[in-house]
Amino acid sequence: MADQLDVEVRKRHPGGPEIAAVLRLPLGKPSVMVLFGPSGAGKTTVLRLIAGLDTPDAGFIRCGHEVWYDGARGVRLAPQERRVGYLSQDYALFPHLTVRGNVAYGAHGHAIHEVHDLLARFELGEFADRYPRQLSGGQLQQVALARALAAQPRLLLLDEPLSALDAPTRLRVRGDLRQLLAGVQVPAVVVTHDRNEALALGDSIAIMIDGRLRQAGAVESVFDCPADADVAAAVGVETICPARVISRSAGLVTVEIAGARLVAVDTAGGSSDVFVCIRAESVAIERNPSGNPTSARNRLPARIVLVIPEGPLARVTLDCGFRLTAMVTRQSEEEMHLCEGQEVTAVVKATSIRIVPRVY
Amino acid sequence: MEWQALWLSLRLSFWTTLILLAIGLPAAYWLTFSPRRWKFLVEALVALPLVLPPTVLGFYILLAIGPHSPAGRLYAALTGGMLPFSFQGLLVASVLYSLPFAVQPITSGFAAVDRKLIEASWCLGVSRAATFFRVIVPLSIPSIVTGMILSFAHTLGEFGVVLMVGGNLAGITRTVSISIFDDVQALNYSAAMHTSLLLLGISFLVLAATYGLRRRVWAVWPIN
Repeated sequence: MADQLDVEVRKRHPGGPEIAAVLRLPLGKPSVMVLFGPSGAGKTTVLRLIAGLDTPDAGFIRCGHEVWYDGARGVRLAPQERRVGYLSQDYALFPHLTVRGNVAYGAHGHAIHEVHDLLARFELGEFADRYPRQLSGGQLQQVALARALAAQPRLLLLDEPLSALDAPTRLRVRGDLRQLLAGVQVPAVVVTHDRNEALALGDSIAIMIDGRLRQAGAVESVFDCPADADVAAAVGVETICPARVISRSAGLVTVEIAGARLVAVDTAGGSSDVFVCIRAESVAIERNPSGNPTSARNRLPARIVLVIPEGPLARVTLDCGFRLTAMVTRQSEEEMHLCEGQEVTAVVKATSIRIVPRVY
Repeated sequence: MEWQALWLSLRLSFWTTLILLAIGLPAAYWLTFSPRRWKFLVEALVALPLVLPPTVLGFYILLAIGPHSPAGRLYAALTGGMLPFSFQGLLVASVLYSLPFAVQPITSGFAAVDRKLIEASWCLGVSRAATFFRVIVPLSIPSIVTGMILSFAHTLGEFGVVLMVGGNLAGITRTVSISIFDDVQALNYSAAMHTSLLLLGISFLVLAATYGLRRRVWAVWPIN
């Protein structure tokens, strides 16, 4: 229990929803936890509570053996005493200080000598005497990270570290950030609402919806196996439909959605009312409405409702009695001459369908 | 023209401005960042000299620093002197009279500092006091200078309060505005005109400097 960040807090802003979060982050090895959820879910509030910039209504925050906050015992450490590197969304660099001045701002004692090394490591040496307004978005982020690390934090809190960047920069910086977080011996909590960012940066993930922590675990497992329909929607599963279980056998379940039948691996835990969750990239489209269903594959007659190009891919909305979204490459879209109103067959593997219980 | 009166006014303005800087910075900090609900009462109190007739303000100050008041007796015990009709008494009155001219611009300057910069400083382990001097003050320099200039100019031109508290003692409390009044009473219009013109010039220059400075909000950022 000792070497982990242990957070269990409740906080209600006047007029807002109650935020309740339970987080555990191991501090021993460098690990990155992604706090993921839609905008307004309370992710930033959780970071601010951990940093000490806001005070919880109740609960506790412990970091290793240190108690940062304990509502019952009236303990509340100031942000200065927590040694947390907090990066706000827009980086909040001091406009009246140079890059060097910014990075050296929180460094004291022998850490002053490391400022030079940090500037070199972030490739900011040649910009050391410039002011923040003279830098690009990617450079600003590097300065903010260097500034946070110069103060020798025991924990990094990054609030949407890439959201202030334009798309091409974001892709490049995302890779750099991953390397950096793996390189520094400081565990981090990263807030994001972008699935690709979560996959690229996180070792573990915690999904937050409407102020509540809904699911936590390894990134891949949470994305692939959302615990309920809300989490599935939050992690961007395109098709989420209520369905009824018809039969169960040998670990497989057959469900019915608006007349269509699907076979899936049974993960609903015995519920008869379920949600069917299908990722668009798991749905293939075949031109000829023919062939027999096998045990592994579901083949559904479908009509194309909408085709939307998305870069190298195309998002196809199908009507199979229910709305099913498929993602195909532009190449196959053109080869099959997919167009609206066309009759096709949608193919989904039984293992690609996630069945979650419907809870009221 | 009365150079003695002008010199006295400049001295009074200088010391008033200096004292207001020392009072204004912490007062503005408290007014900006205090979570107290009742701070609007203090705000109103600070702004009072803006609307109160100088005679009313002067009258109360006279009572408050008079030889029978606690403040007056304390001052007499410490220095052996009296505050009314002295330069020090005038200084007390001027500081109170110009208080809003220093505190209000500085408060609005502090309020305009991005809260996230202050929080970033705290998270970097820098204390609240150090954050004040390393982030809040540097980013509020134009507002602080505005407050100082306005205090200086306002003190230079004050009349009613000075007359009530200081009277009209040459070299001690006869400020430039009172000397103009004296000259007009004595029908010495040319002296009054000279002094008035000088005061007009100084006031215009001071205000022009203030507005010029305000326009250049980016003046805190060095240009290169």
